[in-house]
Amino acid sequence: MIEVERLSKSYGAFRAVSDVSFHVERGEVVGFLGPNGAGKSTTLRMLAGFLGPSAGRIRIGGHDIAEEPQLAREKLGYMPETSPLYPEMRVREYLAFRAEVKRVPRSARAKAVERAAEEARVDDVADVLVQHLSKGYRQRVGLADALLGDPPVLILDEPTAGLDPNQIREVRELVKRRGKDHAILVSTHILSEVEATCSRALVVARGKLVASGTIEELREMRRASGLRIVVRGDAPRALGIVRALPEIAGAEVDAGHAPAADAAALVVEYRRAEGGAEAAERVVAALVGAGLGVREVVPRAATLEQVFSELTRVDEDAAEVQA
Amino acid sequence: MRGFWPIFKRELFSLFVTPLAWVVITSFLLLQGLHFFLIVVNFAAAPAEAVGDSGPVQAFFGQTMLLYVPLLLVCPLLTMRLFAEERRSGTIETLLTAPVGTVGVVLAKYAAALATYVVMWAPTALYIVILARTGDVDWRVVGTSYLSVFAIGAGYLALGVMTSALTQSQLTAAVLSALVISGLFFFGFAEFIVPDGPAHDLATHVSVWTQMNDASRGLIDSRRLVFDATVVLLPLFVTVRAVEAWRWG
Repeated sequence: MIEVERLSKSYGAFRAVSDVSFHVERGEVVGFLGPNGAGKSTTLRMLAGFLGPSAGRIRIGGHDIAEEPQLAREKLGYMPETSPLYPEMRVREYLAFRAEVKRVPRSARAKAVERAAEEARVDDVADVLVQHLSKGYRQRVGLADALLGDPPVLILDEPTAGLDPNQIREVRELVKRRGKDHAILVSTHILSEVEATCSRALVVARGKLVASGTIEELREMRRASGLRIVVRGDAPRALGIVRALPEIAGAEVDAGHAPAADAAALVVEYRRAEGGAEAAERVVAALVGAGLGVREVVPRAATLEQVFSELTRVDEDAAEVQA
Repeated sequence: MRGFWPIFKRELFSLFVTPLAWVVITSFLLLQGLHFFLIVVNFAAAPAEAVGDSGPVQAFFGQTMLLYVPLLLVCPLLTMRLFAEERRSGTIETLLTAPVGTVGVVLAKYAAALATYVVMWAPTALYIVILARTGDVDWRVVGTSYLSVFAIGAGYLALGVMTSALTQSQLTAAVLSALVISGLFFFGFAEFIVPDGPAHDLATHVSVWTQMNDASRGLIDSRRLVFDATVVLLPLFVTVRAVEAWRWG
């Protein structure tokens, strides 16, 4: 339903998006993942037809966005990042206007507005002026707008940004529910968001698609990469014991966070993430066996930044191999 | 033209649900009411032979500056927010990603400003009704005068729509269009300053003063209507191109 081929966007010499290709089919929720400034919003704006690409082709529901822009946009529900709304309108008026602009037939319009408002949970503020709404409500009015007329393709730019945890859960459930028979592309910079809603993820960094894969593959990347252990007793000795283990790549004293006068915190890196569970067991056993007290053991998951840098590095390695 | 009707309705709604249109219309009508009052009082006091064959309607439309000087301010105020505000607040993104055509968007916004302009002038028809009850009114003069008022306003509003599309600030848009409109208006006055020659002819051709003066005597010069149509179509064409150019920004 969404087909993107070799999409690029340049602002002068700056390449905001370069050579991005992917497909999203009906029944898929695909996460568009990347740190801030990676080119996510620029890409989504091109998909929605708001920005023109410098190069490449986009097809929405089988219609080329450059050749048949109105047909393509009719298939599309787009929610921009900042959910801009007209402050002087009431929510119901705004949605009715949007439904008409989106060519929902007159007879079905009231029903469509009601349904979208209910689904995005803004039916309780239907008669409130947009300018009096909180950020969370505005965000969801933007979501209701995207749902209007039930378009087969949804493109949502950070739909949960600025929502509280309950609202985030509701929006995620909505996306999952719609994902069964729609093609949905959701951008986010939060990895757990992708895990919660998406079946597949595309990872972008510095305007390039650096990885794509299923959620299982992403989880793999996020698996615990080390441990933080609080040890009572002789810290240098503990370090020596841990460093001697074959599973361990390195260990340091976390000087910034001394938990108590008689204890020290150690930060331990595994050699390979896959062996995490066994490595943790070996570390604790070795320390206890040496007569040191273990007070806390906390696995350290890879941060998003680490995952991104890992992925980016892999990409550059691949580029070198190709060259 | 897709999207014209809902956007037209929304623009009118926006204009009239906020105080701006009401403030502009009220001020305009107060001024025109005063203007009309002064003319009527003047004619009532003058001896019959001094009046000649011109009447209050001719005086109202053709012989004072008060009629169109307010337009130099009113037209920029009616058009300034049309595109500038949508770009500043970002709503242009939702608008242009809906299945609408650029021409439809531009025309809808322009038509909303033009409709407001017509609404603003409509109550002045009462003056004519008042005059018709007390004396003779030359309906041909009334027709040509309102046609000219409409044609001049249509051009000024198109210029305002264009400047609104060229900036993200309502204030800049208003100042720019006031400058352009005033420039065009005062250029017309060059016909009274510049000696005969091409510059004089050109100034006469674009002079709003002469156009209204002719109209108040029941004359419509088709060359002027062509000029007015140019002042409508050219800015609107530039606006359509500007809106399309944002995609490539």
